[in-house]
Amino acid sequence: MKNKTALRLILVITVIIILLPVCVMLLWTVTGRWPWPSLLPESYTGRTVAELFTGSSKIYEVLASSIILAALVAVLGTAIALMTARATEVYRIKGAKLISFAALLPLMVPGTVFAMGIQVYLIRIGLGDTLAGVVIVHLVAALPYCITIMMDMTAAVGDSLEEQAQVLGANPARAFWSVGIPRLLPGILSSISMAYIISYSQYFTTLLAGGGKIKTLALVMVPYIQSGDRALSSVYAVTFVGSALMVFAIFEAIIHRLIRGSE
Amino acid sequence: MKRIILSLLLAAVMVFSLAACGTEKAETNTSDAADPADMSWDEILEASKGTDVKFYGWGGDENRNNWLNGTVADYLKENYDINFEYVGMDINDILAKLTSEKEAGEDTGSIDMIWINGENFYSAKENGLLYGPFTDKLPNTEAYIDQNDPETLNDFCKPIDGYESPYAKAQLVMYNDSAVTPETPKSAAELLEYAKANPGKVTYPALPDFTGSAFVRNIIYETCGWEQFQDMEADKDKVKEAIQPALDYLKELNPYLWNEGKTFPADSTALDKMFQDGEVVMNMSYGPFTVASGIADGTLKDTCQTFVFDKGNIGNTNYMAIAYDAPNKPGAMVAINAIISADLQLTQYAELKELPVVAQDKLSDEEKAEFDKVDLGKGVLTQAELLSHRLPEMPADLVPVIEEIWTEEVVGK
Repeated sequence: MKNKTALRLILVITVIIILLPVCVMLLWTVTGRWPWPSLLPESYTGRTVAELFTGSSKIYEVLASSIILAALVAVLGTAIALMTARATEVYRIKGAKLISFAALLPLMVPGTVFAMGIQVYLIRIGLGDTLAGVVIVHLVAALPYCITIMMDMTAAVGDSLEEQAQVLGANPARAFWSVGIPRLLPGILSSISMAYIISYSQYFTTLLAGGGKIKTLALVMVPYIQSGDRALSSVYAVTFVGSALMVFAIFEAIIHRLIRGSE
Repeated sequence: MKRIILSLLLAAVMVFSLAACGTEKAETNTSDAADPADMSWDEILEASKGTDVKFYGWGGDENRNNWLNGTVADYLKENYDINFEYVGMDINDILAKLTSEKEAGEDTGSIDMIWINGENFYSAKENGLLYGPFTDKLPNTEAYIDQNDPETLNDFCKPIDGYESPYAKAQLVMYNDSAVTPETPKSAAELLEYAKANPGKVTYPALPDFTGSAFVRNIIYETCGWEQFQDMEADKDKVKEAIQPALDYLKELNPYLWNEGKTFPADSTALDKMFQDGEVVMNMSYGPFTVASGIADGTLKDTCQTFVFDKGNIGNTNYMAIAYDAPNKPGAMVAINAIISADLQLTQYAELKELPVVAQDKLSDEEKAEFDKVDLGKGVLTQAELLSHRLPEMPADLVPVIEEIWTEEVVGK
């Protein structure tokens, strides 16, 4: 009994620690002035919300291009990670260990260094300032996480049930599609979400690889955060978090439908 | 099987790189056709019709973003049929991008115009990242810009040589809340008294922050005079000797500063927040009308007041340049020409509260009247007061030397 109360207390504290800053941020979106030691803002304003919707940043276009870009990276990244994981964990190709180690290498190079180096290369191969270039750069940032998630998942699920299906007469593709994939879905969802949020929050790499032609929410938001306008930064931060959560909810709904469909 | 996959991959790579060469070649052709160096102004106007112009610069000021993508874009579309777009990007990132493009041998990039000045202009010009000279070609250079103004000829004492055109004038000002501290220090000595009266509630941003660095240069001008620095060599020992009185002053100031001068706010935005929160009683800005905008959008109280030192405050001009690999040089020239016109400088003055770069004596009476009509808002100094208290910048290469000396000699001493 005592144990349960303690657990509940921890849960409540955790929720407060997470939700309180979010509430403060929501309040900041309409704050004019909020000097110390006032508990609540001294003045309120609709300036920032008006700026978000009617300013020159074209928020809907920016949101659409951010979401499309991040979704593209999420799907491609997860597909690549799934194939890599199958190759190393199921088919155990030669050099599997090396591949799983190499997959983590991009984490060792700081993003800014990587972005500046690859930009020259992207320009040389004609991909500078293009969507394809930005997708490639984001993929490099996201793949270490996707591959790690998918390798763990694939190793845990194994291929015994797929073999079972093949014994019962299914061809390898059918076995993979009907038996393998459904069991990997939780991992696929994690990998997609991870890749999505990594791409969605890239700033410097998008800036250099996209050259300002590929517009994302982070590109508009970060200068406002750097300029110290707390109210405007909060409006963009709420938009950023809100839109990401919305997309996650959609991903999750799709995956759940797939799981139910396969059962 | 493996061999087939391998050869397919190789084939794909080859097609890929061939395609890449193809696009590079195609782009080169368009840039050759558009070098305005030997075109007349009418030809430049003709060539820019219906084209896109992209202006890259700092994107952290929503009012400026709206002015550029709204007022300026509409004006250019209406009068010159140019599709103008402002892209927010830090100057360091812009220069990194141009450097990469230069390194990759690219001759058609994506940046047309750049918002730039000082150190960055000096290094960009030295490294061949800018196109020029072009300012002589613009009719409005002659029509509106004072040709003898040192800020037209030099940027941080480095010759401009026609590689950038004035955009707006900035000037360092200090401000406080008259409801909290009514006094406005008029000199370095008065500032010291002010800090003593408000211990721990005065500070300035840590160098190399742009504003903090300007403030320290202003203190140097206060205590050592400004003339001797205009042609000084960037030799650390010499500079240190010349600014010794300022270093002594700053060290004397330290014990009365926020956190006793052991640390300083990381940048001017950190100091802005501290001032808004009431943690310090004085703030400073490179935008001379910052207080008016702050009062207008509700982040500052309407009792805030702007002040400068009697001996004057540092002012500089920021400029527009054209990238060496700009895809649309004629369009960029037409856009720059429009932005330095009285029409758009007036809207910049009215909407953004920026000091205009047009010379007062080149304006017609009607244009002058329009400028006089602009309501600057509360808590600011007039354009005349600012310009009569305006001191020129130091040579660009002295700035990092002073920043280095400050870090060694002043912090925590």
